[in-house]
Parts: sequence; structure tokens; C-alpha cells
Amino acid sequence: MQESDFFNGYKAISNVWDEMYASNLAVRSPYERVIDYLALESVEDLNKKEELAQRLFMKQGITFTVYNSGEGIEKIFPFDIIPRIITSAEWDFVEKGIKQRLTALNLFLKDIYHNQFIVKDNIVPIDVIYSCPHFLREMYQVGVPYDIYVHIAGIDLIRDENGDFLVLEDNLRTPSGVSYMLENREITKRLFPDLLPSCGVRGVNEYPTLLYKNLQSLSPRQISNPTVVLLSPGIYNSAYFEHTTLARLMGVELVEGRDLVVNNQKVYMKTTIGLQQVDVIYRRVDDEFLDPLVFKPESILGVAGIMGAYRKGNVAIVNAIGNGVADDKAIYSYVPDMIRYYLNEEPILKNVPTYRLSNPDAREFVFANINKMVVKKTNESGGYGMLMGHAASEQEIERYKQEILKAPRNFIAQPTIALSTAPCYIQGKLQPRRIDLRPYALCGPSGIEIVPGGLTRVALKEGSLVVNSSQGGGSKDTWVLTPPSPKGEVTKI
Amino acid sequence: MPEFKIQHITRYTYDGPVRDSANQIILFPIVDIYQEVLKHDLSITGNPLVDTHIDYYGNEVGSFTLSEPHDQLVISSNVIVNTHHRPLPVDDIFPEHQWDALKDLKYTVPYIDFLRLDYFEGQDDLQGIVEAEKINHETPYQVALRFCEYVYRNFEYIKGVTTVETRIDEIWKLKAGVCQDFAHMLTEMLRMVGIPARYVSGYICPNRNGMRGEGATHAWAEAFIPNFGWLGLDPTNNCIANETHVRLAVGRNFSDCSPVKGVYKGPYGHHLNVSVSVGYKDDEPEPEVNLFVDKVVKPSTSPVTTSEPAKNSYQRYLEMIQQQQQQQQQQ
Amino acid sequence: MLSRVAASFYWLSRYVERSDGILRMLKINYASSQDAIHGFTWDPVIGIFAGGDYELAGKLQNDSRAVIKYMVSDKENQNSIISIVTMARENARSVQEHISTDLWQCLNEYYHTVKDINLGVRFKKEDPISVLDVLIKQVMLYYGTAEVTMERGPGRSFMNIGKYLERAIQSIDVLMIKFNSISDNPDLITDTTYWKHLLLSLGGYEIYLKTYRDGLEAQNVLEQVILNNDFPRSVIYSVDHIQRYFNRLQNDSSLSAYQEVSFYIGKLQSRIKYTPLKTLQGAALHEFLTGIKDELYQIGNLLNERYFANS
Repeated sequence: MQESDFFNGYKAISNVWDEMYASNLAVRSPYERVIDYLALESVEDLNKKEELAQRLFMKQGITFTVYNSGEGIEKIFPFDIIPRIITSAEWDFVEKGIKQRLTALNLFLKDIYHNQFIVKDNIVPIDVIYSCPHFLREMYQVGVPYDIYVHIAGIDLIRDENGDFLVLEDNLRTPSGVSYMLENREITKRLFPDLLPSCGVRGVNEYPTLLYKNLQSLSPRQISNPTVVLLSPGIYNSAYFEHTTLARLMGVELVEGRDLVVNNQKVYMKTTIGLQQVDVIYRRVDDEFLDPLVFKPESILGVAGIMGAYRKGNVAIVNAIGNGVADDKAIYSYVPDMIRYYLNEEPILKNVPTYRLSNPDAREFVFANINKMVVKKTNESGGYGMLMGHAASEQEIERYKQEILKAPRNFIAQPTIALSTAPCYIQGKLQPRRIDLRPYALCGPSGIEIVPGGLTRVALKEGSLVVNSSQGGGSKDTWVLTPPSPKGEVTKI
Repeated sequence: MPEFKIQHITRYTYDGPVRDSANQIILFPIVDIYQEVLKHDLSITGNPLVDTHIDYYGNEVGSFTLSEPHDQLVISSNVIVNTHHRPLPVDDIFPEHQWDALKDLKYTVPYIDFLRLDYFEGQDDLQGIVEAEKINHETPYQVALRFCEYVYRNFEYIKGVTTVETRIDEIWKLKAGVCQDFAHMLTEMLRMVGIPARYVSGYICPNRNGMRGEGATHAWAEAFIPNFGWLGLDPTNNCIANETHVRLAVGRNFSDCSPVKGVYKGPYGHHLNVSVSVGYKDDEPEPEVNLFVDKVVKPSTSPVTTSEPAKNSYQRYLEMIQQQQQQQQQQ
Repeated sequence: MLSRVAASFYWLSRYVERSDGILRMLKINYASSQDAIHGFTWDPVIGIFAGGDYELAGKLQNDSRAVIKYMVSDKENQNSIISIVTMARENARSVQEHISTDLWQCLNEYYHTVKDINLGVRFKKEDPISVLDVLIKQVMLYYGTAEVTMERGPGRSFMNIGKYLERAIQSIDVLMIKFNSISDNPDLITDTTYWKHLLLSLGGYEIYLKTYRDGLEAQNVLEQVILNNDFPRSVIYSVDHIQRYFNRLQNDSSLSAYQEVSFYIGKLQSRIKYTPLKTLQGAALHEFLTGIKDELYQIGNLLNERYFANS
């Protein structure tokens, strides 16, 4: 059969790691089967698959809401049908690296809210901590179950030109996107029947079960069936679909702040029968909105007095309150030092070099080389408030510099990293686009578990380096392969 | 040894029944060698359980909820406190030594929190005034007194022009406010020259002349003076806060010390009425003789040194924990 | 069941039922507007569903297509189909994990159909009845899907209570509008098209013909709409169903709340059953209808207070 022409003319970007093609445009071995499968399809077939994917997302209401001039517009998170593949060796490395990193981050949070050894030993400068808006003095000396602060982490990884994985960002507060990991897989099953088992792709659908098991184990009341709820800001939140998906898959109640009430340091939900005590809250509401009594008084998304119940240990809250001090972008640069400090180990996963702009020398260097830098706000995520030096105009740069000088603590800069590319099916052709990877790690009393997979985000705009959904990003199904069997054949599942 | 009888009543009246209210009170006088609490009665509408904890700043904080519908909430706190005069700083150490001692505190807990400046519009203007007011050969103690007087002289005491939420920007523009604003202004000035300063909430007890701030909760500032500790300065009355000031809480600013706050559910507005009355039970003249040893908080100015450089303090802590567990097992 | 979830079920249903009522009303009235050479007016429809805004009625100038457009796709109109379906969908969204995926998709489709920008064009150019039928079909699909796929739990009970409460209120509203007009225009009492129209807009004309052989009479129409157990839009049928689904909530209620609401439902049932309808006319009839409507609202308020935690 004639090879479909959508393969031809793939223009790999020089000095960038491509997931599918080696430098000589030879297909990397994990992708061979996929390519063989695709070779049998025509452009029309693939177009049909793409349409099917879109229709499935829309029909199932897998959408996020963008608010524009007061009216909510529902959009699907664009999905690229070509999967991203991670070999079992690569995954082992990533998994070890994330486990190590999270272990250290959890120890850091425990330490920072209790003895602060790491500060006393001058590993992390005290002013970086005390000037962080997410360092919550309200959490000082508050004990949390099993000393776990980060129960759910989304660690953003990128690959440099050598294919080495680097950590771009830690998300330790309310990482989102896991529902896309689950839904993307379901869609792929429909698009490419039989391909998944023949390639030996590990499953991801255990995630809700693992999460539920961890949540349940945190219950302060030793009862057989503790009440676990998922606290959502409500239907207007852009991730609401994810909240309902997770609640449904775990079989827990999806609640909003107004459903909960605190009485004598215990949390209850309002039911048609009366008040029912709540033991564990998986919250998708940010710290500052969680308790209007203690944090933002104008918040209507939270529960007044919940901090008191938490402090007393009458309710478990996931993730812990105050985690923002560990995923602040200024503190990010100290994570390798934390790993050495707490674990006495060398970090497995490297950081992207980071300049803290509160340091005048670093600032001067960054200003001089701003064309090669990405400048980020330390307390923002989702691709908001970034300056991409190579693409910004003189004016934008000047304005941004003024902003930096007003509060340099709030900014960091990183050299523009050449994110790896993966082939995407765009307008009937395979085209390289930049990607990252967010695996989801779950920390429970029995250890850290990472479902083999994650969310591969892709910058669908040609030439773009920003993968965030708010900035025109999309996603791909992410395959982690089983180890090859000794004969070199793929294990059948 | 004046003994004060303080009655502090906070009354919220709602325009209709409200429910699910959660409240936080910081109404428990600090207990130390200068202040003892002889009696404290707290009564609250509906007799809810008040749970208390010690916050980051060492204050005792109470919290309670009221879930049933109610149309008013009265928190009545009756305290009998005994205060003792604290001798003033001796201030006989060379100024530069004292300033150096303060510099060493800059990156230590808790002082780092009491030195941090938040950016505000009038900062440059204030910096100029602060520089002009600060005379080089003076000690931190002298500078603190000077600043206290500056606020007293240059800001007008007017009730009602500011609220609990008024930011320092506005106070600076208005050049007026109440004790809370005066205290915020003074802490800001002290922090600018590197003197750790905290906000204090409490009660002022009348003396013969009568003072501003009676009949309500009062607020002032504390400056950290080397070889002495926290010195209370009341910029509203331009005096040192001593045995006539009863301290309830300390913090970075008002919101760390807010005596009563709460959240409720219901479509109705509320009215707040606060009354504080202080009875001066003591007829005796103020004590001339200081019966108490002046315990000065000595800040550790030397960096933490480790005898075993191979292990960091976290690792030593782990070992200690292990030892404790072993001891427990042996019992 | 969470109070908010119960409330969302209840309101979801009330909105869907209301949209059904409006659509049917529009369809019948449009058909009548084609029959009647004179005397047809949209005022009663605007009276029921736009709170009797006569200034508005003036603006629409009895232009059937303008009225339909206003009642279906005007976002400013809180009672337009688009507004109502949007609210129904928002309620469904907030209980998405409690309703069947099929039902959610069905409502989602209803929403997207109403939102379709072509709808406005079609109302202008095509036969409005066919376009209304497309929407009515969406509601029927919804009811069918709910019947087949919804878990038989408290959620469905709250849905049905909302549905029948809304239906009873609508039927009473239609009666009130029609019988009130008589006092202004006594000739209407013997106008058979007038009563036929009432029955058609409630979907009760065929049942009427089977039940009453002696032509269209106001008394019989009243009796059917209030008391006919076989007529699915009668007030007694609706109230019986409210009771039926409320009884299933016993295990999801606190004892006192259950007893209180039960009492008021029973009281309303008795009032409907044991009032001699034939003796009621004029002011007495008006008082009776108003009383029933008040009691229906009272049940709604009690649910709000005792079940939906909105006291």
C-alpha cells in the first residue's frame, strides 16, 4: 500500500528533541507500531477520526468554560489524535525522580511549618519564605495526618535538546487536568481500536480508585465508611467538568462551599435529613478562598471556620493548606537543595536554570539577555503573566521591566528552553509541535504512587512555546509502555 | 500594682435572623510578668463552646460557631487584670552597637515579620521624613520615642474618617485617624529604620488626665529595643505604654490582632456596637519600688553554629526523635 | 442527599416543565392566530408567562412571530425558553454526577438546539409550528430519557415533585386567566372556540370529547382541568403525584419536616377533592383558584425551608 502523504515533509526543528523522529528522520522504535497503523489510514480516515474525537468531547460535555464579556463560552480542550509515547525505561526514570522530589517537598512543608531547620541551616534563605504570600502563618505548628501535605501533585516536565527530562514547575496546590488524562485515553480506545493492547500501553484508569483509597485513609474518625467529599467552586469554574468526573468516578459527593457548615470545630454537609459530618475534603478551592473567617473575608466559595476544624484535626483537607510556599516559583530553584538536605541524595530530575530577580546581579544579567529569557511571576500559573523575551516587543519588555523593579521578589527568569516536539495531526499533515508532560502523583500513608501516564500538553500554534490551555494549548493521550519482554516482543495484556 | 476591671461588650444586631455564623475572638489578655489575669468571664449569645488555640504570634485565640438562627450576637468579656510597671530601658550602650544588634535580627524569626515593609504610595515621602527625624547619634530607643511623638504631633485624632480596612496609603494622605491608624503609622516608620515593630491591641485604662482611646479597644505599637525587649509606645497619647495599657494581642498589623471578627449567612445587614468600660479599682499610689526582676529578652545575635557540621539540624532532629521513641519503649 | 442537590433536581424539573408549558401554549396560540380573523390576542399568553407586562404586549403588537421570538429566544426575557433552559441546564450541571449521562446529554442537546442561531431565522421564514415542534420533541425526549434512565432514588422524587408542582401551577394559571376574562366579557362563557382553545393549550381537548358528550361547557372544562384523574395536566393528578413522590422521601427526611410537608400536601388534596366545584362562580371561583395556588406555593416554600436548607 502506498504510504499516506501526510507523513511526507515533516519538518523537524533543528536542535530540538523530537519524540518520534531521530535526527536522521528515522522513526524511534516505540513509535514504529503507531506509524505502521497510521500508514494504513488515508487522510480522509484520519480526518474522520479527528472529527469523531471532537464530537465525543462535545457530546460528553468535556469542556472548559471561558468567560468573555460576561457570557460563558464552552470550549473543548483541543485534542491531538497522535499519542505521545514514553518508554518503560524513560518512565522508570521519571517516576523515581518525581517520587524523590515529592518526598523532599513533603518534608520541606512539614519542616517549614514546624521547626524550620532548613532555614536555620541557611539552605533556603528566610526572606524567600517569609516574603512568600503563600507561606501561611495560620499553618504554623498545625499537624496534618501522616505528615502528608502534598497528596496530589502535578509535576510539569519538559525535555531539552538532548531528550533529558527537566522539571519546569511543581503544582502542589490544586493541580488540574487529570480528567483529560482519563478521557484522552477513552477517546483513543475509540479512535484506534486494538492499537493500545498491541503496543503494550499501561492503563491509567486506576487513578480514581487510588485517589479514593488515599482520601479515605486520611479520615480522622476511625469509622468504616468515612464521608469523603470533593469541594468545588461550582459550575462556573473552568475545571468543573473535572470535578464532576472525579466525584463520579470515586463515588463521592461533589459539594460547594454553601453545602458545608462548621459547628463546634467539625464540618458538616447540609442534607435533606439534616447535618452529616464530613471527614475528608478533597478541595479544588484555593487556600485564600477556603475560609472567609481566616483568609479572604469576601470569599463565597469557602466555609467559614473550616480552618479551626482543620487545626483541631477534625477534618482532613487535601491538598493541605499552605502548600503554596513549596511550589512558589522562587522557591522552586531551591528544590534540588532540599533533596540534598532532607534525603542526602542527588536530585534525579534536574531543574531548569532559574534566576531570582530579587538578586540584583541576576536581575542585571537577565535584563541584559532578556531576548533569551522567559520571565514569570512567582505566584501565578497557567501561563498567565509571562514574558517570552524572544517574542516580546521593545515596549512590552520595557513595561515588564518596570513591573519587575516594583516588586522583584515576585519574578523569576529562565532561559528559553527548547521544549521537545511531537508530531501532531494538523490540517491533514503531521507537523511538529512543542509539548510538555504532567504526570499525576498521589502520596498516601502507604507511599507515593504515580499512574503510568499523564497529561501531555501541546502548543498547537505553530512556533509557540506555551502549552497552557488558556494560551491556545491542547493535549495528547500519553502512553507509557510495558517493559519489552526478553524476546523483544511486547507483552500482551 | 493597679488592678483594672474591664468590661468589653461587642454587640452585633442583624436586620433579620441570620445563621451559621463562625467567629474568632482575640480577647484574652496576654499573661506575663507585667500583666496577670485575676478573673476572666466570657459570655456569648447562645453559650457556644469556645475553642482556643495559640496563634503564630503567641496570642490566645478563641473560635466559636452559632448555627441556629439568631438576630443578635453579644460577646461580653469581663476581665480583672493586675498590671505592673515595667522600668524603662537604661539605654547605656553605644548607639552604633545597638543598631548593629538590630541589623543582625533582620533575617531572624520572629523579627523578620516585624521589619517587612509593604509597598505603599507614600513610601518615598515617608522615607524622607523618617530620615530627617532620625538623628545619627541617637539610640533606637530615642528614635522610637521621637517617631512616636512625630505621629502624635502630625496626625490628627479624628474618629470616623477611617475604618478597620483603611490602608496606610490613605492614612498618610488624610494625616488623620484613630489609634489603630496611629499605631500602623508608627510601626511603618520604625520598620523603615530597621527597628522591629509590632502592632498591639488592648485596652487603655484611665489616669487622672483622661486619655484618648477610652471606651473602646485601643491600639498602639511596640518597638524592639536591644538589651530591653519590646517597648510599648502609644502614639495616640504620645506616651510609653506601660501599666495603664492592658495588652490583648500582638501581630504585624490590625488584622493579626482583630479582637472580634465573624462571618454569618443570611440576607441581612448588621450593626456593630462596641463598648469598653474600665474601672480603676486601685486607690494606692503607683508602685515606686520595682518588685520584679527585669527579664530582658536577649536576642541571639550569633548565627546558629553546629558542632557537628556533617549533620544538618534536620538530621539531628531525626536522631533525637528516634532516641525519644526508644526511651518511650523502654519504659 | 445534599440539600443543594435536592434543590437543583427540583428546579431543573420545574424549569423543564415550564418550558414545555410555554412551547405548547405558543404552538396552540399560533395555530389559533391563523384561524381567527378577528379577536385573537396574545395577551393571555403574555399575561401568564411575562407577568402581564402590557407595555410589552403593546410593543409586540400582536405580531405572532414577534411574540414567539420574544417568548423563545429573547435572552432579556427571564421567562423565555432560552433563559429557562439555560437555568435548567445550570441546575443539571451542578448535579451532573447524580443524573444519568444520557439525561445530561439530552438536556445539553435541548440547550444547544434552543441556542442555535438558525432558530431565529427559522422563526422568521419557516412555519413556526414545525420549529416549535422541534423544541417540543426535545422536551419529550428529555421526559422519556428521564423515565428510562434515572435512578429510582430521592433525586428522581425531587424531580417529579418539581415537575408536578410546576404543572399544577400552570394549569391553575391558565384557568385563572380564562375565567377572569369572563367577568370582563360574559359572552365568552358560551363561546365554544374559547373553551376549545383552553383545552387545546393544555392538551386536554381529546380527553374532554371522550368524557363529555354534550359539547363544550365552562363548568365541564373546569371540572376536567381540576378534578379529572385521567387527565395528566389536571390539578388533582399533579397533586396526587406530588404526594406519591413525596411519600418516597420518608427515608431522606427528618421526621418533623416529613410530617409537616405531608400535612400540607394532604390538606391541599382534600381541599381540591371536597370543594363542590359546580357551585363556584365569579368571585368564589377566583378565591378557590387563588387559594389552591397559594397552597401550592406554600408547599414549595416548605420544601425550600425544610429540605433545601434555605431557611
